[in-house]
Amino acid sequence: MINFQQVSKFYDTATALRDINLSIEKGEMAFITGPSGAGKSTLMKLIYAAELPDSGRITIAEWETDKLDGATIPQLRRNIGIVFQDFRLLLNKNVYDNVALALRVRRIPEKEVKALVLDALKMVNLRHKTDSFPSTLSGGEQQRVVIARAIVGEPIIVLADEPTGNLDPDTAAGIMRIFKEINVRGTTILIATHNRELFRDTGKRVMRLDNGNMVNEERG
Amino acid sequence: MTYSIKLALQSLWHEKWINFLSMLTIAMGLLVVTLVVSSIYNVNLFARKLPEKFFIVAYLKEGLTEKETQHIMSSIKDRGSIARAKYISKADALKELKASLKDADYVLEGLDENPLPASIEIRMKKEAVGPEAVKSFADSLRKIEGIDDVQYGEKFLLSLHSMKTGMETIGLILTVVMISGIVFICYSTVKILFYRRKDEIETLKLLGATRGFIRTPFVIEGGVIGAVGGIISVIIAAAFYFSVFYKLSATVPVIRAVVFPTELFLSLPAVGLFLGITGSLIAMGRIRF
Repeated sequence: MINFQQVSKFYDTATALRDINLSIEKGEMAFITGPSGAGKSTLMKLIYAAELPDSGRITIAEWETDKLDGATIPQLRRNIGIVFQDFRLLLNKNVYDNVALALRVRRIPEKEVKALVLDALKMVNLRHKTDSFPSTLSGGEQQRVVIARAIVGEPIIVLADEPTGNLDPDTAAGIMRIFKEINVRGTTILIATHNRELFRDTGKRVMRLDNGNMVNEERG
Repeated sequence: MTYSIKLALQSLWHEKWINFLSMLTIAMGLLVVTLVVSSIYNVNLFARKLPEKFFIVAYLKEGLTEKETQHIMSSIKDRGSIARAKYISKADALKELKASLKDADYVLEGLDENPLPASIEIRMKKEAVGPEAVKSFADSLRKIEGIDDVQYGEKFLLSLHSMKTGMETIGLILTVVMISGIVFICYSTVKILFYRRKDEIETLKLLGATRGFIRTPFVIEGGVIGAVGGIISVIIAAAFYFSVFYKLSATVPVIRAVVFPTELFLSLPAVGLFLGITGSLIAMGRIRF
């Protein structure tokens, strides 16, 4: 589902990623870990084509990211649900509209949008916050809105960049339960985190990045 | 599309003051353009009507025989640029003068003989009436044996022509400047709105929005700003027409001759719409993913 072959990425003279080989199967749930600045976020951005590799090849499902253009990048991104580190919620829109945005960009009729959004909000247990604005929500609630937005379009892949960054352990555990549920439905999930607690005893693959290099791979 | 329209309307309302100011500025710009175009239209209209009224008078020498007069007439009529040539005898000239003097024709009493010369009144074809063509035609008439003098409104023709050319040039420059100005206003308005929503646009891109989806609300917004600007200018123009022009024309007859090209005024919202869309498309440029 996600395939990196000898992928390198440089920012000016700094190396963000070097010769990365990575393969994540359909329906798999995996973790990328490593200290800050190890290249986790860059790796995520390469998957949803916000960045392009300087060398190597990336294949996401049927798309080769270096062959994408303005017309096909949206197609790729509609198949990837992204849980951003900085949430990227629109503060002038309520919870419902924030989640609905992922469907409206696909020009899905409003009737269908409503049913899908309410389903997604129910899954993250935020059905009662439909009309709330992001600024009135706690960090954990905001994160769950972002997850609802990421899954509402039933993507084949969900990417989560530090999804529990500023959350307390209980809330973080709740977020992880949601990811597991999504994964059970067959969605491929890749989580970038420096929090070991998230993958401990999961039995899932954990790939460790350090200074742009893939240093090891283990089971959580 | 419905969602794009909703977004555009929300933004129009949310940023109502900046949008309203842009609409007013566009309305003023469109009014200036309309005023210039109307003036040129009126001058052209007048210049177009002129050939119908314009004529040249060739005064004949005294004592020409009928044969000589006919020879002159036929040599004038042979020219391609002539629409009509009418011979006015000395007697007819006097009759016309008397008619035009009406009750004051006593001034002619005491004249022993008719002092007026016979003449030929020449009307040229519409397309041949121009300062250069008329001048060379008049010069050629003067060379005909038996013609004493040729008169026409040379200065008037020249000044009308130069006024027409001058107004067209100034009008063209002003129109280009104003239209560029309007496009720029729409451009900068949409650019500001675009920058204000930069984060939102970034998020939309990452959620899989196409360029069309991102652009459409801004294009609608730019179009609405331009079109409403156009509508405001029509309202201002109509208000001016009915409050000032209409009333003045009752007392000042010259104003009655001025024509307001209605089609031009009614097309302003469409012109505004087009310029607004153009401005917003330029403002957004090429959206990169």
